[in-house]
Amino acid sequence: MTDNEKHTIRKLFLKLLMAVGMLVVLDVIYYFTLYPKDRAENCTLLEISERAREGVDIVYLGESSNHTYSDDDTDKRFICEMIDDLLPEHHVGNLAKDACHAGVYYDILNNIPRQSEVKTAIVTVNLRSCSAEWIYSSLETPLRKEQLFMKKIPSFGQRMLLAFKAYPIWTDEQRSALARRGFKRQTFTLPHPFPYHNADEWDRAVGQSGILYNGTYPSYDTIETACHHIKHFATELDATNPRIKDLDKIVRLCKRRGWQPVFHILPENVDQIDSLCGPDLIWLLERNAQWVTDRYEARGVIVVNNLNEVRDCDFRDRDFPTEHYKQTGRLAIAKNVATAISGDSRIR
Amino acid sequence: MLFNSIEFLVFFPIVTLLFYLLPHKWRWLMLLAASCFFYMWFIPKYILILLITIAIDYSAGILIEKWKDNIPRKKTCLVVSIVSTCLVLFIFKYLNFCSANLVALAQHFGWAHPQKVLNIALPIGLSFHTFQSLSYVIEVYRGSQKPERHFGYYALYVMFYPQLVTGPIERPQNLLRQLREKKELNYDNIANGLRLILFGLFLKMVVADNLGTYVDKIYADPAAFSSGDILLGMLFYSFQIYGDFFGYSTIALGCALSMGFTLVDNFKTPYLSGSVQEFWRRWHISLSSWFRDYLYIPLGGNRVSVPRWALNTLIVFTVCGIWHGANWTFMIWGFAYGVLLILERGLRNIHLFDKIEHKTGRILLQICNVTKTFVIVTLLWSVFRATSFGNLHDLFAALFHNGAIPAQLHVAPLAWIVLALFILLDILIRKSRFDVWCGQQKTAVRWGIYAVMVFAIVALSSVEQYPFIYFQF
Repeated sequence: MTDNEKHTIRKLFLKLLMAVGMLVVLDVIYYFTLYPKDRAENCTLLEISERAREGVDIVYLGESSNHTYSDDDTDKRFICEMIDDLLPEHHVGNLAKDACHAGVYYDILNNIPRQSEVKTAIVTVNLRSCSAEWIYSSLETPLRKEQLFMKKIPSFGQRMLLAFKAYPIWTDEQRSALARRGFKRQTFTLPHPFPYHNADEWDRAVGQSGILYNGTYPSYDTIETACHHIKHFATELDATNPRIKDLDKIVRLCKRRGWQPVFHILPENVDQIDSLCGPDLIWLLERNAQWVTDRYEARGVIVVNNLNEVRDCDFRDRDFPTEHYKQTGRLAIAKNVATAISGDSRIR
Repeated sequence: MLFNSIEFLVFFPIVTLLFYLLPHKWRWLMLLAASCFFYMWFIPKYILILLITIAIDYSAGILIEKWKDNIPRKKTCLVVSIVSTCLVLFIFKYLNFCSANLVALAQHFGWAHPQKVLNIALPIGLSFHTFQSLSYVIEVYRGSQKPERHFGYYALYVMFYPQLVTGPIERPQNLLRQLREKKELNYDNIANGLRLILFGLFLKMVVADNLGTYVDKIYADPAAFSSGDILLGMLFYSFQIYGDFFGYSTIALGCALSMGFTLVDNFKTPYLSGSVQEFWRRWHISLSSWFRDYLYIPLGGNRVSVPRWALNTLIVFTVCGIWHGANWTFMIWGFAYGVLLILERGLRNIHLFDKIEHKTGRILLQICNVTKTFVIVTLLWSVFRATSFGNLHDLFAALFHNGAIPAQLHVAPLAWIVLALFILLDILIRKSRFDVWCGQQKTAVRWGIYAVMVFAIVALSSVEQYPFIYFQF
């Protein structure tokens, strides 16, 4: 190394230190000027965490399943409100937001103020959210954008991540390619010989042939619904799934904060899945629900497996797999969760 | 990979550091690998198209040299190279456009029309690296550049990551030579490079993206806005596209300069031009000089009759328009510039204001000329920005008929501040580049500028994603 180069390195190091100092000053300026407005405008999730104040001892983390109802419902209460009514000695806080999943729940929980009175965290486990179809969905972009302001880093750093778009921005083409790749990675093995090994193979076979598992040729819409079910549920969950990793993080966080985690596995429309995709997909769903139950019960989590709890007639949407229930379905879920928390079987 | 992405903030320092840490003989390999990585970040498979173009033109260069005394063979080699490189460009960029127009024509005449649409995305930066590749082959053919025998260096010339996606379109005489030179760690290069990157990010993220918010609203539904709003939208677009493209080019220059490479300047305060001709000497200089050297001059340049010159001008600018995109609006935009240049030359012969000798008079005349040119350029940008003729029609209909509608576009003070700051900076750096101008300031002023720019980039940039406008070309 020449003397000139050594001199350059020394000079660059000094300038680097000056730049770091400048960033610290800018962080302070930003924190006291634009940060509060930026945070309020770009991160509604923080407002959700704030709901865990004032007497709330149970928090309910969910997505649209919590608050979506059918127009025919006479009882339009949310699931969390039903649980609240079923547990009069507790106060259940609603920490739900559309399209959320375990990764977002973790951030919401992590931002619950230290002085809160929370003792129990009910976390919705949506098996559909574990699929590549959801992981790479367009719903993910706004959520990941909001999560930037929940990171435990200086305020200027949070805004920098937003400015430099540190969240997934996919075109439809990229999204579809990523999901396909995800399907191929999420392989499964059934206890008997089966022609497909991942959701991609299964989806293509049904979509291209237009034939259901029982040999019938239904309408195009029915085939499309069957394919949606396959893409969302034909997987064998394991510890590498990002949602499972997030649930693991939630368990660790609850332990640190002294909260009792309650995971409740959302019901899926098993009747429709059985009629469109057959018992093989049901086997996978049940296997996954049981795997989640066993994994987290072993870690001290109360797991409520509601997978089969709601019948086809109590699902609101017909042509796309959702977890939107009519009042009977919501009440059944609420009762099971309330029973698990209180240990009082008379709730039924 | 986008320059204004978090990935690039990691990529750039790693590549620059590796460049200086590695011995000179391995640097080309690292830069080539980094450039491939940079390109493949978008759509990985499209690197194959780039490699095909590189292989064709690399071989053509060597064969042209081999047959330098056999003119027919040498010429055939050049033609094959140009045709095959342009064919790739045609397939990916213009085939769908031609097919759609042929179908429309067939429908008009009632002919049978099997519509074949290629469902493929345009590989990013295809027009740029195609032109860079072509300039190499043509220069080798002309004998002003020796063919590059090292495939790695040639590939790096086409793929050098700072200018791979949106230029500047480099010439082999400038870049290829520099790639072989041994670069020493130099403080001034790094400092100036970082200054350019900072300035480029400011132009893109603070100026262009903030103005883009309003422009998008206007062009999405012109009928909903007042005439004043439409004028504002047009004005903002002029500065959005300038900030966006100038920003990208400046970051490219900065990245290259950090490693000791000097790329060609692409902009020289174009909106201070006194004529359309001058504007094209200051706007996207690497492209306009490419068209001058490889199309305008071979067609005869100025040394032909006036009608032939007019035809050449129209050809060059129409092709320039088509180069920007496969859409009639681009073609009309380019053609209009051709017509304006012809008119300008005609008017120059009238010598109307040549007798003004008073200094104030000359300054006023210059202000009038700059304003006139800016208005023309801004009007033509609206043709460039419009998504279709229908969109353009709606825009001008709103401009002329919505005078009575109250203003709908609520422009935040921030937009005016960044616009004013941009204009001020553009005037300040008219005689030198930002890095040079900034380096001449006192330390406190310099660090004040850095602080303001960093703060603006981080805290005042748009939260929405606006891809670089020239990415689509």
